[in-house]
Amino acid sequence: MHSLDLHGYAKLFTSYTELRAQENRTVRIDFVKGNNTRNSRSSTSGISARVHSDGSWGFASSPEINENAVKLAIRAATDNALFLDSRERKGKGLLPIVAASSANDYSTKKPRLGQKDLVQFVRELDDHVVRKYPDLASRTLIITCLDMEKTLLTSDGSHSHSMIPRSFVYVILSLMKDGVPTELSEAYGGLGQFEDVFTSPPQLFSDIESQYEHLVKKSEGIHPNAGLATCVLDAELAGILAHEAIGHTTEADLVMSGSVAEGKVGREVASPLVTLIDFANSCGGKTCSVPVYVDDEGTKAEDAVIIEKGTLKGYMHNKESADRFGVSPTGNVRAYQFSDEPLIRMRNTAIMPGTDKLDDMIASIDNGYYLIKPGNGQADSTSEFMFAVTLGYEIKSGKLGRAIRDTTISGVAFDMLKTVTMVSPDMKWISSGMCGKKQPIPVGMGGPAVKCKVTIGGR
Amino acid sequence: MQDPRQVAQYGLNALLKAGADKAQCTLTLTDKHELNVDLGEFTLVRTTFDTEVGVTAIKDGKKGSTSINKSDSNSLDRAAADVLDIAAASSPDEANDIAEVQPAAVFSSGSDAPDMDKMHSRMKEMLQSVKAAYPKVMMRQAILDFTRTRSCFLNSNGVDFVTSKGVYSCSAIFSSKDGEKVSSFNYTAFSLQDLEKALLNCGSIDALLQQSTEQVHTRPMEGKFVGDIIITPDCLGDMLYFLSYSLSNGPMISGTSIYRDKLNEQIASPMLSIHSRPVSDEICDGYFVTPDGYAAQNSTIIQNGVLKTFLLSLYGARKTGLDRAVNSGGAFVVDPGDMPLEEMVKSVKKGVLLARFSGGDPSDNGDISGVAKNSYLIEDGKIKYPISESMISGNAADMLMNVTAVSRERVDYGFSVYPWVAVSGVTISGK
Repeated sequence: MHSLDLHGYAKLFTSYTELRAQENRTVRIDFVKGNNTRNSRSSTSGISARVHSDGSWGFASSPEINENAVKLAIRAATDNALFLDSRERKGKGLLPIVAASSANDYSTKKPRLGQKDLVQFVRELDDHVVRKYPDLASRTLIITCLDMEKTLLTSDGSHSHSMIPRSFVYVILSLMKDGVPTELSEAYGGLGQFEDVFTSPPQLFSDIESQYEHLVKKSEGIHPNAGLATCVLDAELAGILAHEAIGHTTEADLVMSGSVAEGKVGREVASPLVTLIDFANSCGGKTCSVPVYVDDEGTKAEDAVIIEKGTLKGYMHNKESADRFGVSPTGNVRAYQFSDEPLIRMRNTAIMPGTDKLDDMIASIDNGYYLIKPGNGQADSTSEFMFAVTLGYEIKSGKLGRAIRDTTISGVAFDMLKTVTMVSPDMKWISSGMCGKKQPIPVGMGGPAVKCKVTIGGR
Repeated sequence: MQDPRQVAQYGLNALLKAGADKAQCTLTLTDKHELNVDLGEFTLVRTTFDTEVGVTAIKDGKKGSTSINKSDSNSLDRAAADVLDIAAASSPDEANDIAEVQPAAVFSSGSDAPDMDKMHSRMKEMLQSVKAAYPKVMMRQAILDFTRTRSCFLNSNGVDFVTSKGVYSCSAIFSSKDGEKVSSFNYTAFSLQDLEKALLNCGSIDALLQQSTEQVHTRPMEGKFVGDIIITPDCLGDMLYFLSYSLSNGPMISGTSIYRDKLNEQIASPMLSIHSRPVSDEICDGYFVTPDGYAAQNSTIIQNGVLKTFLLSLYGARKTGLDRAVNSGGAFVVDPGDMPLEEMVKSVKKGVLLARFSGGDPSDNGDISGVAKNSYLIEDGKIKYPISESMISGNAADMLMNVTAVSRERVDYGFSVYPWVAVSGVTISGK
């Protein structure tokens, strides 16, 4: 990113102002059935300013990062705030003042790999897959990397610099059985630049072996029996449950728009076995997949405890919502691109582990499902949620049975969490997805396995 | 250097100078002016300017591409060198190519600049109307923006297209609340050439807001049955996703598309005709040039249930040996049927009016399941009540074949035009 010291521009701030320089760098390499269908890099950078005037906000951005662009962005954002203030006259006064600073750079210290090395990595992986699994109808292998680098200065005196990268290899395998395609995809990777996350293609061979074995079983799978079922949601599904079904309803902007969590702080909303936290940057002494130290409003990022032993404890806030609720901002505010305004977003949202063994959880179910892999998901202001399930097995008399075909589960989270009777001690994080809320944003989701009742789609 | 043609020409020359056998360069300048409403109040005015330079080079059959958002000559020279490095790292592929020469053209639609005062007054008018007519509605977020895009597409075969487009877009997310009872959120969006009409009279927003107030008090459905669904225009786009995805490069090249051998065969009910019309008067938010450099044309994807084209790019066409599509999809227009919506409802014995589908992405074989949101139970030809905790399961390909009626009425969203579509044989399950 162009290095530009933002501090000198503080003198141009005439009202509450955030000034941010940002660059997003991406790499994408696709191999579809051995064909190198995509080989690209991109870089998007620029400067933005957001200005607050008595309750009205103005925002402006420019793709250049230089003195002139900074001045223009501050002036245009100020003009926008004044345009709105002159028409709306909200008279809401000042925002709470916070000041924090941080510098966190997760760039690799290793020599950087070139595009040729990355293409070779995928090619070797593809060669292995096609050699080892000749009965596959198709396979798609993708490398995708995102480096997000931000520098922030606020009129409160906050300043920060961060470079948060993530790198993934997607492996999508497809089998054809009786003319019907069955697919199973998996994302490998997480926080870090490619060199820090992956060593060599054989690092993934055993995981791909397991993926293939599940795919074979899935291709012979059955449709679940539609309706309410007792299920064990494995760690990845518990993570998406934490994010989609509970997390979104407790983002303060959604609370204020009437989500089901409004007015429920202090009330029992889940089984006492359930504790749910949105971690800022570390959990159990380990760095989370999406670490945030100072958010894009300049607030120090703190863990937000949402549910503690079944009781709703609080929400996730920006400065404005924290002021309205009379609490401190939690540092949950982020923007995706330089040209995006910061919004309340989750960071690393997880259900905390319990003490029940996974085997005991499965053994305790006479007729139900063990659901392992999530696809996409969506939740509602009512806390009614839906997640796609791309891998799972039926449970019959306490034992795993046949695999099931792609399906969807749903429920009302604040009801469903009361049906949780067992929680496993092992925890897993996923971070390949993007959360969508006007803008996409990288998020982490974690959890243990959870036994509960949900509605499952099927025939 | 802000003349799009001049920048694109510099980029193209830089690619050829760096050693590309074939090259293309696209410059797009975008300015967006956006009014944001949160929780029923104006909150933010946002102005963004952006530049995108997309460059592609082919050398020795190897292709690379990159995009940057800087248009100065140093950045373009660097991008040209980078993209040749990327191409050198690729595998050679005979299917890599660029568009052949076509007559140079300049395309334009819409205004050059927004009317910010009109934007503010139209949005204010909508908020006041909603407050008066639907007091239970909470407008969680509403956005009215004007986006002007100027672009130039040049390639080394002589393709030379300059486009300019200005369009207003409005989107809204809302729910309703009555005491502690809250409805599911719903949303809609539409695009407009101008702001002559009140926003509440555009797209389907007024009807959805009215429905939202009814949906505060839902009832879960009991049991499971196989019945009919009537898919609303707001939901139809989601349901057509499987079709457009299955006809596109990825599944066609990998061979996993269930339609790969179905050209000119019946894949849907004869009642269904679906078009892609990016340059039609019906569509104000279309596009003029495809990403691979062809002047977009309108096409018919399904004519009376028969598949008439795949949605393959130049690369996809060369890879599969099939014809390239004359556009890159989207801008869907579904022909109206001859039955009024009221008659369609009357003909349903037991089923669901499906207004929003919150579901998993369909499997490659078309299996689909998800929650029926903002939807209603239909019994004995009457809409009974809004439902909750109800799931729809079926197969998207089967559903296209099992269309039993298409409404006479349609909704114009500016980016697509959809009717209501009735489908039989869908599994509907409640608690």
